[in-house]
Amino acid sequence: MLAIVPEAARFRYLLAWTALAVLLCALPLFLSYSQKEILVFTTINVILVVSYRHLTLTGEWSLGHVVMMGCGAYGSALASKQLGLAVPLSMLTGGVCAALVGWLLSYPLFRMKGFYFLIGSFAAGEVIRLLWKRFRDPFGGPKGLKRVPGLEEFEFAGLRIDFFDPVPYYFFSLAVAIVCIWLLWRIERSPLGWSYHAVHWGDDLARSVGIPTRRLRRRAMVTASFFAGISGALLVHYVGTVNPSRFNVEEMVYVLTWAIVGGVATLYGPILGVVSLTIVNEIILREFGLDQWRPLFYGALLIASVLFLPKGLESLVAPARSMLSRLWTRSA
Amino acid sequence: MKNLKNFGGSFSRRRLLAGANALSVSLLSSGLFPRLARSGEPIKIGFLAPLTGEVAAWGKPGLDGCLIWAEWVNALGGVKLGNERHNIEFVAYDNEYDPGKARTGAAKLIREDGVQFIMMLGGDTWPGVQPVAERSGMLVSTLLPSDLTPDTTTLIAPAEVHPIYNVTGVEWMAETFPNLKSAVICAQDDALGLPSLATYLAAFEAEGIELQQDPLLFDPATTDFAPIVTKMLSSNPDIVSLDTCYSDYVHPICEQLFQQGYEGKVISCTADFYEQIIEKTSKEFMEGFIFQFPDFDDPALNDPRVNFKDPNDFFREYNRRYPGEWGAVSWEYASIMDLWKEAAEKAGSAEPEKVLAAMKSGGKGAHAFGEANWWGREFFGIDNALVGNWPVVVIEDGKARVKAYKSIPDWYDRHGELLIRHMEALGQMYYQRG
Repeated sequence: MLAIVPEAARFRYLLAWTALAVLLCALPLFLSYSQKEILVFTTINVILVVSYRHLTLTGEWSLGHVVMMGCGAYGSALASKQLGLAVPLSMLTGGVCAALVGWLLSYPLFRMKGFYFLIGSFAAGEVIRLLWKRFRDPFGGPKGLKRVPGLEEFEFAGLRIDFFDPVPYYFFSLAVAIVCIWLLWRIERSPLGWSYHAVHWGDDLARSVGIPTRRLRRRAMVTASFFAGISGALLVHYVGTVNPSRFNVEEMVYVLTWAIVGGVATLYGPILGVVSLTIVNEIILREFGLDQWRPLFYGALLIASVLFLPKGLESLVAPARSMLSRLWTRSA
Repeated sequence: MKNLKNFGGSFSRRRLLAGANALSVSLLSSGLFPRLARSGEPIKIGFLAPLTGEVAAWGKPGLDGCLIWAEWVNALGGVKLGNERHNIEFVAYDNEYDPGKARTGAAKLIREDGVQFIMMLGGDTWPGVQPVAERSGMLVSTLLPSDLTPDTTTLIAPAEVHPIYNVTGVEWMAETFPNLKSAVICAQDDALGLPSLATYLAAFEAEGIELQQDPLLFDPATTDFAPIVTKMLSSNPDIVSLDTCYSDYVHPICEQLFQQGYEGKVISCTADFYEQIIEKTSKEFMEGFIFQFPDFDDPALNDPRVNFKDPNDFFREYNRRYPGEWGAVSWEYASIMDLWKEAAEKAGSAEPEKVLAAMKSGGKGAHAFGEANWWGREFFGIDNALVGNWPVVVIEDGKARVKAYKSIPDWYDRHGELLIRHMEALGQMYYQRG
C-alpha cells in the first residue's frame, strides 16, 4: 500500500499538469476575439505579479515594481526602434535594462526597510517616471513612444503566423511566462531561495550566521526587475506604444491587489489572484454591461477577500486538493 | 504532391491550404472588416472612451449626450441610407484611458459588435487603436487632433481642434481688455498640457502680451496647488492662464487664486462644472472668467450659422437626465454624430470609406459652430481636422455666456508661423512626436 500511494499521487500530479496544459492550449478556442486579447494581457500580468512575489520573498514590498516593468518596456522599445535589434533580442535587452535599474535603485533603497522601503520605492519609481516625461529624446515625453515594432510574422507549414493576432501572441507570451515561472521557481527552491526566506523571517538571525542580507535583497530585486522588464517588453511589442502614465501608482495598486487577493505564500497564489480578478473585472462585469460600476465591484471584492480570505485565494487550494484526493481515493 | 493520408487519398496539402485560405477569407470578411447593416437593422456606433478613472469626465458625459442624440434621431426615423431607414445604436467600451484596453475595445467593437464608426477621446489611447483601425479600415474620430499624423488616414478630428481654438479666447480678451499686458501660465506636463501651452504662448505673443515668468509645468500627480499659485502670483500678473488643465486641477487652482487674493483676469481652456468653482470661491471672483466651452442653453447658440440641432433643448434634456454633469464633451460626440449622419445619408451607405469620402467632399463640413474647412496638412500632415469658428465664453453673473465667435483659420493665416515655432520648441509638431 505504501508503495502504491506515491505512485497514485504521481499519476494524479501528472494528470493535473496534463489537464492544465490542455486547458491552456485549448483556452483560445472557447474565447471571443476580445477575450483572447484579454488573455494575452493576463498572461503578461502573470509574469509581472509572479516577479513581484519574488521580490516579496525577502520580506520587502515595493511600490515601484510596475516602473521596472516600464523600464523593460522602454528599454525594449528603444532597442528595437533606435538600435534596430530583432524583437526577441530587444525583449531580452528590456529585461536587462530593468535589472540594471533595479540594481542601481537597490543601493539607496535597501538602506531602508519595511514601511520606509515601501515609500522609498514609490519615490524612486516616480523619479524614473518623471525622467521619461522630461527627456523627450529618447523617451518621447508624456506621449511616450509609438509605432513600436511587433514580432515579425512568419510562415509555418503554409500558415501565416501573425503576432498582431492575439492567439499567436498568447502562445508566445505563454511560452515566455512558463520559462519565467520555471526559472523563478528554481531560484526559490535553490539554497539562494531558502536564504531569501531566511532574510524574510529572521533577518537578524540570518545576519548573525553570516548571511549577507542586504546583498540577498539586492539580488532578489534585480531578478524580480528583470522578469518585470520582460513582461513590460512583451506588453510594448504587442500594444505598439508605451507612455509614462501606464506605469503609475494606480497600476501598482492593481499588482498589489492581485498579490494580496491571491496570496504570496505560494508561487501560484498571485497567479490565482491576477487570473480571477481579471476574469471578474474584464469579462464578467463587462459582459453584464456594468463597465462603469467595475471600480465599485472591484473594491468591494477586495474588501471581502481581505475580510473573509485573509490568506488569499491560495488558502483554498489545499482544502480543495485534499477533497479531490479523498474523492479520487474513494472512487479508486 | 504528398497526400495527407489521415484525411483520405484525395485530400492534398494544396487543397487543405486552399480550404484554409477560403476559411480565413470568410473569417476576415466576417470579423476583421466592418459588417454592413442589413435593411432595417440598427447601425452600431462604437464609443471607445474612458468611462471610469481620472479622465472619465471627458468620456462619460459624451456618452450620455450620444444616448440623447440617438433617442432623438431614432424617434425621427433614424438614418436614411438610400431607401432604407436604420436606427442608431451605441456600443460603449470603457478603455480606462489605457492603450492596451483601447486596443481590446476597438477589436471587440469592430469584430464582435460590427460597428461602422468609432468615436474616441484619443490621446494616449489612440496609438493602441491605430493598428486595429488601419487593418480594418475603420473610421475613427478623436477629440484630440494631436493624434493626427500623415499616416492616420482613417482618423478624423471633426469636433474640436484642441488646442488651437484657445487662440480665439486670447484674441477676444486682447481686443476687449487692451490694458491687460502681462500674463503667467501653468499647465500639467502631459500630452494635453504641452501643445496647449505652445498655443497660449503663441496667442499671447501675437497680442503683445508679455509672459512674466517661465511657464509652470506641474506633474499630473500634483494635488497641492498652493505653491504653484503663490509662485505665479509673485510677479503680479494681469492674466493667469490655466492652459488646458483637467477639471481636477482647474478647481483647486481657482480656489487657491481666490484664497490668495487674486483679482486679475483668468483664462482657461475649460471650466467644467464651473458652478462648483463658484460655490468654492464666489460669484464675484469668477466674474469675467474666460474659457472656450459654452452651455448649450445660451441664446447665442441659436445663431443660424450654428449647425448643432436644438442646442437649447439638448441642454435642457441633458440636465434633466444628468443634473450637474454637463461638461466640455457633453455635446461634442453628439455633434460628431450629426456630421457622420449627414455624410452617411449623402453616401447612401454606412461603410466607413464611403462615409469618410462623403464627409470630406468639397473640403468643407458642417461643424457644430458653423461651416468649417478640412484643414491641417501644415500642422498635422493631413487635412483631417475640421476647423472654423469657435466660441469665446465668459462667466457673467454666475452663468457661462458666449461673447463672440472667432475664426481659427483667420488667426492662423495671420499668426500660423508663431504657432508652429512654439509647437516646435516644445516638440509638439507631428514630425516631432513619438
